[in-house]
Amino acid sequence: MATGFTLLLAACLLLVLAVAAAAVLGWADRAFHVEVSPQLEAILSALPGANCGGCGFVGCAEYAEAAAAGTASLTLCGPGGASCAQALAQITGSSITPTFPYRAVVHCAATGRQRLPAVKPPYRGELTCAAANLVAGFQGCTYGCLGLGDCASACRYDAIHVVDGLAVVDYANCTGCKACAKACPRNIISMVPFKSDRMLVVACCNSDNAPAVRAVCPIGCISCSTCSKKSSLMHMEGNLPVIDYDAYRDESDFVEALAKCPRESLIFVGEPHPADLVKVAGEELPARIEADFQTTVDDTQWWG
Amino acid sequence: MTMDSITLLIQIFVSAAIINNFVLHYFVGICPFLGVSRRVDTAFGMGCAVTFVISIASLLSWTLTYYILRPGAPLPAWLWRVAGGAESVTVDLSVLSYIVYIFVIAASVQFVEMYVRRFSPKLYKSFGVFLPLITTNCAILFTCLEILKQLQDPMRLWGLAEALTLGLGGGAGFTLAITVMAGIREELELRDVPRPLRGAGITLIVAGILAMACMGFAGVDKSIETTVQYLLH
Amino acid sequence: MTLTGPTAGERFINGILPENPVYRQLLGMCPTLAVTGAMKPALTMVAATAFALVSANLITSLIRHLLKPHLRILVFTLTIATFVTIADRFLAAYLYSMSKVLGPYVPLIIVNCLIISRCEVCSSKQSLGIALADGVGMSLGFGLGLASIATVRELLGSGSWFGIPVLPAAWPDWGIMLLPPGAFLVLGLLLATIEWVGRVRGAKKRARETSA
Repeated sequence: MATGFTLLLAACLLLVLAVAAAAVLGWADRAFHVEVSPQLEAILSALPGANCGGCGFVGCAEYAEAAAAGTASLTLCGPGGASCAQALAQITGSSITPTFPYRAVVHCAATGRQRLPAVKPPYRGELTCAAANLVAGFQGCTYGCLGLGDCASACRYDAIHVVDGLAVVDYANCTGCKACAKACPRNIISMVPFKSDRMLVVACCNSDNAPAVRAVCPIGCISCSTCSKKSSLMHMEGNLPVIDYDAYRDESDFVEALAKCPRESLIFVGEPHPADLVKVAGEELPARIEADFQTTVDDTQWWG
Repeated sequence: MTMDSITLLIQIFVSAAIINNFVLHYFVGICPFLGVSRRVDTAFGMGCAVTFVISIASLLSWTLTYYILRPGAPLPAWLWRVAGGAESVTVDLSVLSYIVYIFVIAASVQFVEMYVRRFSPKLYKSFGVFLPLITTNCAILFTCLEILKQLQDPMRLWGLAEALTLGLGGGAGFTLAITVMAGIREELELRDVPRPLRGAGITLIVAGILAMACMGFAGVDKSIETTVQYLLH
Repeated sequence: MTLTGPTAGERFINGILPENPVYRQLLGMCPTLAVTGAMKPALTMVAATAFALVSANLITSLIRHLLKPHLRILVFTLTIATFVTIADRFLAAYLYSMSKVLGPYVPLIIVNCLIISRCEVCSSKQSLGIALADGVGMSLGFGLGLASIATVRELLGSGSWFGIPVLPAAWPDWGIMLLPPGAFLVLGLLLATIEWVGRVRGAKKRARETSA
């Protein structure tokens, strides 16, 4: 009888627990219900779901909430692009002003061969930018690209690679998610709105004065201010020129500035110009055109 | 509360948190320990979530075990007498313990998640995502099993306070281990780890060294009694 | 390969080495570290886990059309808990000393990520035969993983294998191997070895492919 009673009691206990849990959880589901509007569901499904953080929110879910509430611009999604912005505009019933895709730009143009080494003994530490940035003496320029590839590891779209010691963005793949910009320990990657296929950027981030820059790099900006005098869209901030991208219209604004720059600090990034493509159609070209500069320092050997 | 009971509580807490650390000595909660210990803030969030859930689970499991599930529990005994059974026979429902524990853990985690999501969105953002993972965390079930073991031994019948202290101590120990591991792993990112060891391999080896360090605390719980008495006199 | 995924035979082979639960999926770490001090407890644990895994796979596959999405994890867990209770009582009745050695780790099979993961990924979506093959394959893989760790720990820690002395009596037992740190270190180093072997073989295969 005891066994039978135990079995009966066991069955009753489980039944009671199940009913109690169902009742409590059912009540909780209604009492603690969080209103999730169908609009939010629609927005969530329209977003790419990569959770890259490029919009500035922690994940797609947060951005969806902000977009639904109207507290965030609908065009912030880099990977989603224009089509996603359109979809969001349709769902929320608001309109969007046409905007441009933001892509990553590396503010350094000196390849490994051009960068001058520091006078300290060669770097023997871990080969990541984060580690190399912690010590002095990796290379002469303390602002520029280290070329160890933290950005390339961070990129999920295979859009940035280290070519010849310099980080180079592949604009065919770049979605503007900002992962490389966040990974760069020297913060020399910024996001530029691509109003046309080729954009002019300032390819130097060394804000020291001219003698200091010349000592460490053959093509870094020497703050001569010629560009800012020749173009109304550029002005000097400290020792570096800054381009006003909001007012940027096309290349014609910069023709004179480009011609007058004594160093290679102003470059075009993005799609190559069709005329340039035709010119080099049959040739085997290096990754960049080398500058032919005499420097004041004789040892121009890259120690790697 | 008597001196002995306070000493017992301190012993239980220190033992669960440091001397017999749940992760490094009892090997429970290894999966989140290896998985979530990449960054210190997520690790700490996970640790807090686990501590919270262990405390709730220990309270509920103690109540159910003491009154229903242990051999000689009051409720089945009373029901047996009411049904006209003999006094000498005990009704033992302890075979149901595992099922009841896991059910209670799953239900309470679900309840807590709903509550936190509704009333504290900020808290939900920081550790709400871990809550469904914690249902299958060995550490919670292990705590319940420890409580069952202590309640089955008539010499050491634990009360609610002891059970709760075990839960808090276990959670604190887990948080300590996972946060220390996260700090070490953040440093390891900048170091030259051989490729086969990267990821799980080096984490386990570091955990082994941490476990060795924990072994150094062996025997401390014996002297806690004398220490507490010395401090409180 | 069938239209819906790997066949039963493929799943069986898959579970042993390519998707080995211990070395590749890193699931079920808790018993892996806890009971591998010697071969006998390790294999008893494998047997108990295999019983729970195969039975849970069977039941889950049978009721797969009745599962509601938001309740399925709970259903899996309760099914596994039932079978683990049976295994635990069986061990306590017929292998009492072993059950004492294994201690609380037999009930912890309930929350073994491996079983819940197989139920979720495979048996709640596949037919009976495939679920069965998957369960048996994974159990064999789990056994292989545990046996390898237990062999190393028992040989170095007590100079024996299955309780039979193998190394000469002059062997100084590495006590650390039987303690928690030894478990972590052995698993970490074995994982690294498997990774390295896999990498070397992968490189050789790529070299053969590019040269061919």
